[in-house]
Amino acid sequence: MKRMLLTLVTVAILLPCGWAAGADKIKVVATIPDLAEMTRRVGGDLVDVTSLSTGVENIHYVPMKPSFAVTLNHADVLVLLGLEAEHGFLPALLEAARNPRILRDAPGYIEASKYVVPIEVPTRIDRALGDLHPMGNPHINLDPVLAKDMARAIADGLAASYPEHEAEFQKNLTTYLATLDQDIARWEREAAPLKGKKFVSYHPDFNYFAERFGMEMAGTIEIRPGVDPTPSHVTELEEQMRKEKVDVVIREVSYPAALAETVAQATGAKLVELPTMVGGVPEAKDYASFIEYTIRTLLKATGSAPG
Amino acid sequence: MKVGLVRHRVMAAMLCAAVMAGAPAAPAEEPSPEQLRRELEAMKRQLQQLQEQIKKQETVINKLSAEHKAAAAAPQPAAPEKAGTTSTDEERLKKEVTENIMRRIQPSLTAANKTFPSQFNPAIGLIVDTVASYTDKQRGNFEMRSAEVGLSASVDPFARAYAILNGTQDSFEVEEAAIVTTSLPYNLALQGGRFFADFGRLSKFHDHDLPFVNRPVVLDEYVDGESQADGVQGSWLVPIGQYLTLTAGMYNKIGADNERVSNVVSRDLSEFTYLGRAATFFSLTDANSIDLGLSLAGTPQVAFEEAEPRYLGGLDLTYRWIPLGASGYHGFIWGTEVLVNSENRPVGGFPVDSDVAAEQRLAGELAAPIASPVANRTPYQPTTLEQEQQVAAPLVFQRKNAVGLYSYAEYRFTRQLSAGFLFDWAESINPGVGDTFAYSPYLTLWASEFQRFRLQYTRFEAPGDHENQFFLQWTVIIGSHVHSFRDR
Repeated sequence: MKRMLLTLVTVAILLPCGWAAGADKIKVVATIPDLAEMTRRVGGDLVDVTSLSTGVENIHYVPMKPSFAVTLNHADVLVLLGLEAEHGFLPALLEAARNPRILRDAPGYIEASKYVVPIEVPTRIDRALGDLHPMGNPHINLDPVLAKDMARAIADGLAASYPEHEAEFQKNLTTYLATLDQDIARWEREAAPLKGKKFVSYHPDFNYFAERFGMEMAGTIEIRPGVDPTPSHVTELEEQMRKEKVDVVIREVSYPAALAETVAQATGAKLVELPTMVGGVPEAKDYASFIEYTIRTLLKATGSAPG
Repeated sequence: MKVGLVRHRVMAAMLCAAVMAGAPAAPAEEPSPEQLRRELEAMKRQLQQLQEQIKKQETVINKLSAEHKAAAAAPQPAAPEKAGTTSTDEERLKKEVTENIMRRIQPSLTAANKTFPSQFNPAIGLIVDTVASYTDKQRGNFEMRSAEVGLSASVDPFARAYAILNGTQDSFEVEEAAIVTTSLPYNLALQGGRFFADFGRLSKFHDHDLPFVNRPVVLDEYVDGESQADGVQGSWLVPIGQYLTLTAGMYNKIGADNERVSNVVSRDLSEFTYLGRAATFFSLTDANSIDLGLSLAGTPQVAFEEAEPRYLGGLDLTYRWIPLGASGYHGFIWGTEVLVNSENRPVGGFPVDSDVAAEQRLAGELAAPIASPVANRTPYQPTTLEQEQQVAAPLVFQRKNAVGLYSYAEYRFTRQLSAGFLFDWAESINPGVGDTFAYSPYLTLWASEFQRFRLQYTRFEAPGDHENQFFLQWTVIIGSHVHSFRDR
C-alpha cells in the first residue's frame, strides 16, 4: 500500500515536470491535421502543436474522448475550422476541459475560417433541409486558395495572443503563402482537365474544391447533409447521373463504401475514395500531398491524367 | 505620339531658321538672275510644304489635346503615370467599392439588428418521447412519456445556466435548473441548483437519452430514477496527463423518485446526502477505450429509517470500440454498473399507504405516498399471510446490504441501425424481498440524428411479477440540441 501511494505521488509530481520541458513553447491544439500543419508553418519553433483528429475521421463525428479534455486543458491556443464544423464534439469537450483561455471569444480561440467567405449559406434554417450548417459549408480546407486565408487567420490569431512574436509570425506567414502560391499555380495547371467534369459525393465535402478547379457537383448520396439516403433518393440520383453523364462518384474515406459502389456501378461513373483531411490516406501526409493526391486521383478517374 | 509631334515641330522650326539664315549666306560667286529666281521658287515650294505639314500637325495636336481634357474630366482613375498616384487611386477605388457594398447590404444589417434584443434569449430545444407498451398484466398503453423543454445560455463571463422542464402524462416538473461556472481557476467547476448528481453513468441520463427504453432496475430501485438532486457540487479536473476528475457534492437527497426525504422540509446537516466520485479514462488504442468511475453517496442519518445512515456505492465501467474512420457508422459499447446499497429498511418493504407512512407524511417527513420496492412497477401488495401480518404490525427495520447490476452490449451496424441486449439483476433493498431479473433485447433505428425509433422486448422476473413486456419508443428532437459530455 505504501509503495502504491509512493508511486502515485511520484507520478503526480513528475508528470507536470515532464510538461515543463516544453513549457516555453506556445501549446496549440488544432482540431484537424490540416490546421495543425498550417499552425506549425506560421508558428515555427514558437509553437508545439497537437491535432485532436488524425485525419481519417469524419469531422462531424470525431469521438469525444475524455483524453481530449486533458489535451485541451493544457492548451494556450485552440485552432479550429469554425463555421460549426466541429459542433459534434468540440463544445462539450471545451466545457469538460475547463480552460478559459480557449473558450469561444477568448483570444486563444482561433477560427481559421475568419477571413473565408463561405459558400452555401442557407437562406432558410430548417431541419427538414438536413443537419444544416447555418453559417455555410464548413469544408473549407479542401480549397488551397482558402488555405491562404486560413493561414492568415492563424497568424493574426497567434499575434493577438502573443504580440511580441508578431513579426516572426508574419515572416513565417509570408514564406508559407509564397509556397502555397507556387503550389496553387501548379495545381491549377494540373487540374485544368477537371474543369467541367461532373461528380457526386457522399456528403457535401468537395464543394469548395469543385468551385476552385471548375468541377460541377451533380448531387450527394446523402438525401440531405447528415441524413442517410432513402431508396427513392438513390433511384432519382442514379437517373439524374445518367442523364447528366456524371463522371465520378466520390466516396469520402469516412463514409460507407457499399452504397457508393452501387451508385457508381449503376451509372457507369468511376468510383474514387478520397480523404477530406490531411492524414485521411497514407499518401496525404501533409497539406500539399493531400491536395495533390486529390487532384491526381480525380484526373485518373476522369481519364485526364497525363500519360 | 505626343513626343513625336513636338520633335516634328522642332525640326520644322530649325529647317525654317536654316532657310532664313541661309539666304544672306549665299555663295560668294554671283549667280545669274535666272538661277536665283529658280532657287527662290524651290525654296518657296519647300516653305509651303513645311507650312502645310505644320498646319496638319497642329490640327492633330489640337484634336489629341481635346481628347485628353475630356478623359481627365471623366470620373475614372488616371493613367498609371507614377507609383504614388496608382497607390492612391487603388485606395480610392477600394474605398468606393467597399462603400457601394456596404450601401447594398445595409438594409439586411438593419433588419438583422432589429432582432438583436432576442439574441440574448437562451437556446431552446424540445424533446418528445413517446412509448407504446404492452405487458402481460397491465396490457397496452400509449404513453406520452415526456415533453422536455431545454433552455441554455451563458449567464455572464463566469457562468452558464440551463433548465430542463419536463411535462409528462400527469405532471409537470423542473427536472433540472442549474448554474454551472465556466471560468473558475485550478480546473474547478461548481454547479448549483437542481441537477443530476454525478453518481455513476446512466443515472445522469434523461430517460430519452438512455440506450434502451427503460431505466435499468438497479438504478430505478437503488438511485430512485435519475440522480436528480437539489444542492451544490464541485468537481476538479486533476492537472495531470491522465484524465481524472474528482467530484464532491452535498444535496437534500439523490434520486428523482427518492421519497426518503422531502425537498421542501429543512433538515440537519447529518440528514443531507454527500457524494464523492472519481472518474477516469484509458485509451487502449485509437479505437478502444475504457471509462471507469467509482461513486459513493452517504446520508449520515435518514430520519425516516430510524435515523440510521444510508450508503450507496457504485462502480461503472464502459468499454468502447469506435473505429476512427467509421465513427458514427460502426461501433461497439459494453456498459456495466454495479451498485451496493446499505440502509435500514422495513422487513418486506414499506406497505403502501400504511398508517406509519400517513403519519410521517403529516409530520412532513414524506412528500408523497411511498413508492413500491420497484418504482414505477407493480405496487407492493402483501401476498402471504406472513406479509399481511407484517403490514398490520409495527414495521421492523433491518439493515440490508443489497447488490445489483446492469450490463448491456450494443453494436452499431450503420449510422441508422444498432442492436443491443440489456441484462438486469438487483437484490431488493428491502429485507425479505426477492431479487429482480430482466432480459431485454432491443433494436434502435435512427431516421436521422433527430428522430429515433426503438423496439424492445423485456422478460421481467420480479417477486410476484413475471411477465413479458413489449415497447415501441419514438423520440424526436426539435430546436437546439447540444451533444453533451455527460451523455457520451
